[in-house]
Amino acid sequence: MDVFSTNFATIDWIIVMVYICIPVVIGVIVRKYVRQLSDFIVAGRSLRLFVAIATLTGTELGLVTVMYNSELGFKHGFSAFHVGIIETVCILAIGLTGFIVYKLRELRIMTIPEFYEIRFGRTVRIVGGSLLALGGIMNMGLFLQAGARFMMGVTGYSNPAGLKIFMSVMLIMVLVYTVLGGMVSVVLNDFLQFVVLSIGMLIGSYFAITKIGLGNLFKAPETVNQASWFNPVAEGSGFGSIYVIFMVVLTFSAGALWQSGTLRALAAKSPKVAKQLFAWGSISYLARRVIPMLWGICAFVFVSQTPKLLSAFQGPDAINSQFGMPIFIAKVLPSGFLGLIAAGMFAAFMSTHDSYLLSWSSVITQDIVAPLKKGKLSDKSRMLITRISIVCIGLFLLIWGLWFEAPVSLWNYMAVTGTIYLAGAFTVVTAGLYWKKASKTGAMTALWAGVLAFGGIGPWTRGDNVPFYASDKFIGLMTFVIAILGMIIGSLLFPDKEKKSEASP
Amino acid sequence: MTWVLLWKFVLFFCLSAYSLLVVVVIFGGIKNIIDMLKELSAPRDQE
Repeated sequence: MDVFSTNFATIDWIIVMVYICIPVVIGVIVRKYVRQLSDFIVAGRSLRLFVAIATLTGTELGLVTVMYNSELGFKHGFSAFHVGIIETVCILAIGLTGFIVYKLRELRIMTIPEFYEIRFGRTVRIVGGSLLALGGIMNMGLFLQAGARFMMGVTGYSNPAGLKIFMSVMLIMVLVYTVLGGMVSVVLNDFLQFVVLSIGMLIGSYFAITKIGLGNLFKAPETVNQASWFNPVAEGSGFGSIYVIFMVVLTFSAGALWQSGTLRALAAKSPKVAKQLFAWGSISYLARRVIPMLWGICAFVFVSQTPKLLSAFQGPDAINSQFGMPIFIAKVLPSGFLGLIAAGMFAAFMSTHDSYLLSWSSVITQDIVAPLKKGKLSDKSRMLITRISIVCIGLFLLIWGLWFEAPVSLWNYMAVTGTIYLAGAFTVVTAGLYWKKASKTGAMTALWAGVLAFGGIGPWTRGDNVPFYASDKFIGLMTFVIAILGMIIGSLLFPDKEKKSEASP
Repeated sequence: MTWVLLWKFVLFFCLSAYSLLVVVVIFGGIKNIIDMLKELSAPRDQE
């Protein structure tokens, strides 16, 4: 069986082409609803519960999410499910308690660094905004690459130039409608993509399980370690206790403060809706992990039953493990449905991209440029800067995605780059909201500590015999620990003399 | 064996709960979008 053989036919291309035009049309139509900056960034704070759940899912269930989770399932089997369980419990806890999100929504802010200024002053906002944009843009650095690999695997296009072609076309599509419509078009497209992708994923799971068989699904393939296929803390699982602890800290902080997700809470109709959004959304968070992991597991079982495919994923010239799931579904899903899944995934790619582009560009405008100008920027200028930033970030993604490869796995890359921002942000926001003694010095120390996470994407994290102190998971966890200690020690040694109480709009 | 049972439960819970959520969100979401667009097109003051 040829590695890149596929059921993808002309009818599937037609479905994809028609479907991807829809977001652009929506972007053009909804321009009339975008009259001020808050419409562009938080949809006029008008999101009600169900559409907020759809848009949260549309953002957090992107093609890249499907790719990194299926890669985890492909490489580590059911033991990868622990990440989904941990994340679900964390999101549910945030939803039930309203931890962080309720108070932030009450403050009527549009970005998280706005809170930094309210609590700690303008300098902290600019530094926090810069690190947020840096971590966030680095975090989405491999989105285009992963998306292009999916499309190559599904369509069976194995030409080496395919990565560049797919990346360029996908980028242009997403830039057009994000720049045009802002958050209102994002919300409508997210809803459409939630519907198509969710139904597609559920039906796709049926095909995947049917192909493998329930009996085979829950048996570890002979080519892997039986215990580590199911047990995340077993030796050889690729995870271990440090990784599990890192996931608890990371998913909890990301659940509360990842800008694109939190933006949905800030755009919610009321603080109560923001809270409910997370409680109900926890099911989506479980699905966005477990379903792609299931596809990755099915893909590996399928590959391990086919010697030619198995050999393609082994040895020094092995193809990237991110190709495992798309190559599998290209062979088991029927033509027509495959086109719908590809279109849904492509749309999911766009829905994640638009939100992230909007998130990071609005941070650049609101939290770096505007405070530097001391708030003397009109809404029109802010929207222009936001749109220019979107295009600049898009170009960076194209260049970065063409030459950088994740050293361990796509998810690990995202976890570590997310930590650049999250370690500081989680510490600063939590302390700012719930600890009266938190000071500006403590906040600055915690924010800068996040930069340590850059060490987690270095070449020394690659390979089988990496010492624990040089591994990405240890570096990620330690970054959080140092940020927390930095906040506590900095605040106790250098308390604030006077309280800041003003924020730029 | 315990891990297998746990992951079986997680998988089937996830597929059933998510199916239910999708149905609820589709119907509730359409109504929400109509309300949102009405609100955004109504006259209002600059914030």
